[in-house]
Amino acid sequence: MKTFKTLSLSAALSLSVSFSAFAQDMLIKDAKVVTNSASGIIENGDVLIRGGKIVDIGANLTAPSGVDTMDGTGKWVTPGLFAPFSQLGLVEVSLEARTNDVSASESSMSVSNRAADSFNPKSVVVGNTRVEGITHFIASPGAGMNIFGGIGLVANSSGAFDSVEDGEAFIFVSLGERGADTAGGSRSAAVNQLRAALDDAGAYPSRYDGPEDGDALTRRDAAALYRAARGQLPMLIAADRAVDMINIIKLKKDYGLDVIIVGATEGWMIADELKSAGIKVMVDPQENLPASFDSVAARLDNVVMLDKAGVDYAIMTRSADLSHNVRVLSQHAGNAAGNGLSWDKAFAAISATPARWFGTNTGQLSKGDKATFVVWDGDPLEVTTGAELVYIEGQAQSMRSRQTALRDRYNPTKTDTLPHKYR
Amino acid sequence: MKLRKITLLSVAVLALASCDSTDNKTDKTSTKSDDSVAFASTYKPLPSQTTLITNAFIIDGIGGEIENGSILIKDGRIAAIGSDIDGGDADVTLDAGGKYVTPGIIDIHSHLGNYPSPSIRAHGDGNEATSPITSEVSAEHGVWPQDPGFDEALEGGVTTLHILPGSANLFGGRGVTLRNVAARTVQEMKFPNAPYTLKMACGENPKRVYGSKGGPGSRMGNVAGYRENWIKAAEYKAKRDKGGDGFTRNLQLETLADVLDGKILIQMHCYRADEMAQILDIAKEFDYKVTTFHHAIEAYKIGDLLKENDTCAAMWADWYGFKMEAYDTIRENVPFVHAQGACAMIHSDDDLGIQRLNQEVAKTWADGNRAGLNISRADAWTWLTSNPAKALGILDETGSLETGKRADIILWSAEPFSTYARPEKVMLDGAVVFDKASGLKPTSDFRLGQAYQGQIDKNAAQEN
Repeated sequence: MKTFKTLSLSAALSLSVSFSAFAQDMLIKDAKVVTNSASGIIENGDVLIRGGKIVDIGANLTAPSGVDTMDGTGKWVTPGLFAPFSQLGLVEVSLEARTNDVSASESSMSVSNRAADSFNPKSVVVGNTRVEGITHFIASPGAGMNIFGGIGLVANSSGAFDSVEDGEAFIFVSLGERGADTAGGSRSAAVNQLRAALDDAGAYPSRYDGPEDGDALTRRDAAALYRAARGQLPMLIAADRAVDMINIIKLKKDYGLDVIIVGATEGWMIADELKSAGIKVMVDPQENLPASFDSVAARLDNVVMLDKAGVDYAIMTRSADLSHNVRVLSQHAGNAAGNGLSWDKAFAAISATPARWFGTNTGQLSKGDKATFVVWDGDPLEVTTGAELVYIEGQAQSMRSRQTALRDRYNPTKTDTLPHKYR
Repeated sequence: MKLRKITLLSVAVLALASCDSTDNKTDKTSTKSDDSVAFASTYKPLPSQTTLITNAFIIDGIGGEIENGSILIKDGRIAAIGSDIDGGDADVTLDAGGKYVTPGIIDIHSHLGNYPSPSIRAHGDGNEATSPITSEVSAEHGVWPQDPGFDEALEGGVTTLHILPGSANLFGGRGVTLRNVAARTVQEMKFPNAPYTLKMACGENPKRVYGSKGGPGSRMGNVAGYRENWIKAAEYKAKRDKGGDGFTRNLQLETLADVLDGKILIQMHCYRADEMAQILDIAKEFDYKVTTFHHAIEAYKIGDLLKENDTCAAMWADWYGFKMEAYDTIRENVPFVHAQGACAMIHSDDDLGIQRLNQEVAKTWADGNRAGLNISRADAWTWLTSNPAKALGILDETGSLETGKRADIILWSAEPFSTYARPEKVMLDGAVVFDKASGLKPTSDFRLGQAYQGQIDKNAAQEN
């Protein structure tokens, strides 16, 4: 414990100067290690990290010479959390339009708008999220001038300029109420727009050989939809009403799409259908109110029922927020666990599952895996637990954020009497 | 979702009662009966039995814990509490088996009923956003008792809640304190003799909403608007005090005059530290009291000022960034305010957040202690019950487990600062109104006959 604290503190201090990450080899001893692999949870586990990788994991490991040992007694070590749906880095202050790049309702293009071209890794929101143990996230554009938000990204939370790991990770589409709004006023128009766009992209580039545009998409947007229209890139489709999801199942079959449904508040009603169609879903396990006529059947155990049916699901924070409070991801998973989901499954839904979907190879801790992990002072799904160390590919990340800076300036335990601006 | 959240956030409350002197205030404002006033409370406690809870780990809501404690409930009130009490004549004995028992949660900032589910245009009854001054309206006239959110909040342990008008206006209207009881009318929910409140708002919302509709269009305009209307209120009050044939009631000024008379508590939406300081000066100028700043994102920066002015702060654990005045929160806001000796509390302003306010307190409490504070769990529980009760002027009735108070009680499945803990039983005036084991829970009319209910019936049929 002591050595551990000392090391983490010195790491934090050096980081506070440069705000940059550095690679570090170490052996963590006697921690509770959540592997998310066949090894399950190792109660008194050791993890040896060298060169950005986990080179050994198990019990009774010894540190090679020159490698520091940390006492992990009482700590938990887990893979980094992965927020499966967010707008992190796309918005600084939600209501200030100039700081908000989530959607573009006046744009002349849609599918081809790339979130990666808006993404700001230096947003304080990214730092505030990182210190909560979230190492990876997707950032999705929202629907704007039509049902398409555009091209979403996968990034890590390091804050580095090269933190976007995949700038073309998926296409985002809104159906349901929001889709109907952006398509001109009805669900029919939204689904019709989607089918027309898929036809355009499916026939791209031949349909665009002549001077005529496609039925729904410009040449550039059709090119952007090319892969998704052929099931080669995930299509994230927001929908909550059960029958809207039934329609998505048909679309998937007709076009051979790789679909992830975002929302699925009424998913429990059609859990078997989702399972047989091989559709993945992202759900918020705290959404239990009939917030709209798309979710009159909302219930607290939606995710439990989806799990029972064998649906592939991840847990998101939509009801809290999709930017600033994505950091409460572990609370949402914890509540799923509190409502009947097993701990392992709840935790996988915010780590291994999205990591598998989006190909970051970060969701588990076993020999040879990337050393992307978090050291916690307790069960990470408990709201009272905090992240102590965050590592991304063997690099210790800064545990400072704008919020910790404000905290330290105004901490009432301080005896400093200088005006706050000097502290 | 984002838009909806912002709408809710645009509401705030400000109370006039002081944290320490609400007992007196309550006595002053309580009348023997509500019969003489319009929209009087018709709340009647549900029938209850004389109940003895034994073997409980009690968190009493005022900083104390009793291990292996007992509570005797008689006529809906707490007749005795302690580690060794005589419950000889109890009809029912409830062995808590060592589990946690706490006071029912009080949410001082809710829009349940005012912005009910489903959140559709027709249900937007929470803000009379037609003028910057609407102190003549009252939240209770927009409360739909069939909001399904009430039922879920009850399952989360919320026994009393304060419904406020929104925050588009400088003076938004009266707030109302409700018992979270299954009811057909809002009168059946009204907390008997609880003082009314006046919702006011600082900052971005009034200037954003009215900037292009005649103002205020800036924080300067906001302050001018408060002051001009307090001047009118003082004149009105003088006329009212004098009485006579020449006096005509004016609903807008009546609310403000009642504030000046100490009958109505100010609950004020205010985010920034510097703005809160200015509001406290306006309160001195016109001799009224700000009971609570709501949202109070930057309260941690001025804990000393809040303490000095005996003004509470109602806060979130971690919401921030949805607008500029919400940019500066810290996870330790609530405990930092508490540690500076001011009256701190949690609030939801959200129909989902209200279902797990215990977790919100747990988060911020743990963060505060991690930052070097040493706040006990029992002291942190005051942020959920006794401090909001003080700020609403109802502490003599609820907010803690003390002899004579209403038996508003939660029996928890586990330590209530755990993510996994759930209320197993919730009592309102000693009557069990939610019981996880038996499935006892109110269901809104809105839920009936919907896909939700139909599917449950179908599942039940299949299981049989």
